[in-house]
Amino acid sequence: MNEALKDKRILAVEDEYMLAQELARFLEEHGATVVGPVGTVKAALGLADRETLDAAVLDVNLRNQPVYPVAERLIERGVPIVFVTGYDELLMQRPYIGLPRCPKPLDKEALLRVLAREIAGRAGAR
Amino acid sequence: MTERQSRPPTTDELLRLVIESAHDYAIFSMDPEGLVTSWNSGAERVMGWPAEEIMGRSADVIFPAEDRAAAHQEREQAAATGRAEDERWQQRKDGTRFWASGLLMQLEDRSQGFTKILRDRTEHHLAEERVRLSEERFRLLATNIPQLVFRGLSDGSRTWPSPQWIDFTGLGAEASLGLGWLDAIHPDDRDGTVAAWHAAASSGEYYFEHRVRRRADGQFRWHQTRARAIHERDGPPIDWVGTMTDVHDLRGLQERQKVLMAELQHRTRNLLAMTQSIATQTLRRTASLRDFEREFARRLAALSRVQGLVTGVDYREVDLHDLLTAELQAHDGKHLDSGRVRLAGPALLLPAAAAQALGLALHELATNAVKYGALARDDGRLTVSWRIDSRGSERVATVSWKESGVPLSGVPERSGYGRELIERALPYQLGAETRLDFEPDGVRCTMAVSLQGPTDE
Repeated sequence: MNEALKDKRILAVEDEYMLAQELARFLEEHGATVVGPVGTVKAALGLADRETLDAAVLDVNLRNQPVYPVAERLIERGVPIVFVTGYDELLMQRPYIGLPRCPKPLDKEALLRVLAREIAGRAGAR
Repeated sequence: MTERQSRPPTTDELLRLVIESAHDYAIFSMDPEGLVTSWNSGAERVMGWPAEEIMGRSADVIFPAEDRAAAHQEREQAAATGRAEDERWQQRKDGTRFWASGLLMQLEDRSQGFTKILRDRTEHHLAEERVRLSEERFRLLATNIPQLVFRGLSDGSRTWPSPQWIDFTGLGAEASLGLGWLDAIHPDDRDGTVAAWHAAASSGEYYFEHRVRRRADGQFRWHQTRARAIHERDGPPIDWVGTMTDVHDLRGLQERQKVLMAELQHRTRNLLAMTQSIATQTLRRTASLRDFEREFARRLAALSRVQGLVTGVDYREVDLHDLLTAELQAHDGKHLDSGRVRLAGPALLLPAAAAQALGLALHELATNAVKYGALARDDGRLTVSWRIDSRGSERVATVSWKESGVPLSGVPERSGYGRELIERALPYQLGAETRLDFEPDGVRCTMAVSLQGPTDE
């Protein structure tokens, strides 16, 4: 088992309940503590402000609201983020185009690899 | 040299030499009545009449038959003023015509008549005519196509604006000359417009998209401007001709198409993600692959039905009555007509997201009713009713599913999937308030959903 997520606090933001459950379950199976899941920008902003976080997985479109304000807050705090989206790279808003991204439907193993890399990268930067 | 040889030629001799050797010039004389009295070799060459044949005959034969009167008029004019010039078609001996530039002069001794010098200018005339026609064609085209046409120089200055440009921008021909035309370009686009002209000087082609003010309503409309240089052979550009095409509506459509494509892609991927999630959830709750296949196919069909309704009205709103009817019919149309099912409520349009989530929940309720509940037995009854309430500025739809006549032995909803959809997914996704109860005579379910559409609240 990949230990990269063990005891890491990961924010899960996804507006589709079943997908949010799947995501949370998967992260927990890999030893992470899931913060959320939440499905609105408002709720996610609250958690992004308050919680201690090691990483965040963000669905880009939340009930037709872009998740970007949440991303901005997390970047300010130095929390690595991974977008999960049905949008192509080119359709994403400019400042976020280069950030890690997993397409929907989600390949969970790919998400795991990207998360592990981002968390390790952050540890290395510190 | 001898003296004899050095004797200068007389004026008469010189004149004769000039006249004889002037092959390109027809030079001849006629008496006051127009009868030919001399005819040089040039005249013979240009008009095809040998001197011996035409001497003593009327020189009027070089005029086309329908134009003979002009010959007489010319002589009258030359007699009165000393000379008469003309540019006209004339006729050779063989009847063919040529364009002639001629000069008729009265001789000093009036009784001697006139002399005429005439050149064949047919080539020159036809070339001029071709240029005129070509310019005429250009004007005709330039002033009749919907595009705004212009001519100009390499620095972007204009030398001619088409009437369409003047009509469209309200900027007069004078005001448009030079760089005056930039007044009709959106201030933010002017620098780019001029810079593109600098770039065009080397490539010989101009291309730029900018906004042009329409006089009629003051709107700045996007135009695509193209121009090409016209060169003298191997020389620098001497003239530019260009068109400006209104692409405003096209650009609007392209923008809209981009948005639609993004939306479509998003929805498609989300739908696949939903499918994946339904597969996982179903797999988790079924004991065998045979069960999985059946349950999964059933839920996929429900998802597909809801999608059909959602896309059927341009990704917007779905009528709750349609949603219920489609769901109940999918199970078995006979229930709807049996009198045991009652659907009651006002016209109610659900936002797409609400319709999708509610549709899947209603599907689970209907499946359960058909298998174990009110629709599994002859004396069961199902009433689905709904109403719309106002809570402040918000409108809330409450849907109530009520089965009766079902002796329930405390069997909870079978798979747990439907229960999770209703009790957890609807509140999570739609902020809905839901309640699912198993009463002694059947299932009761209420679901209250905001009709404001997708919001962050």
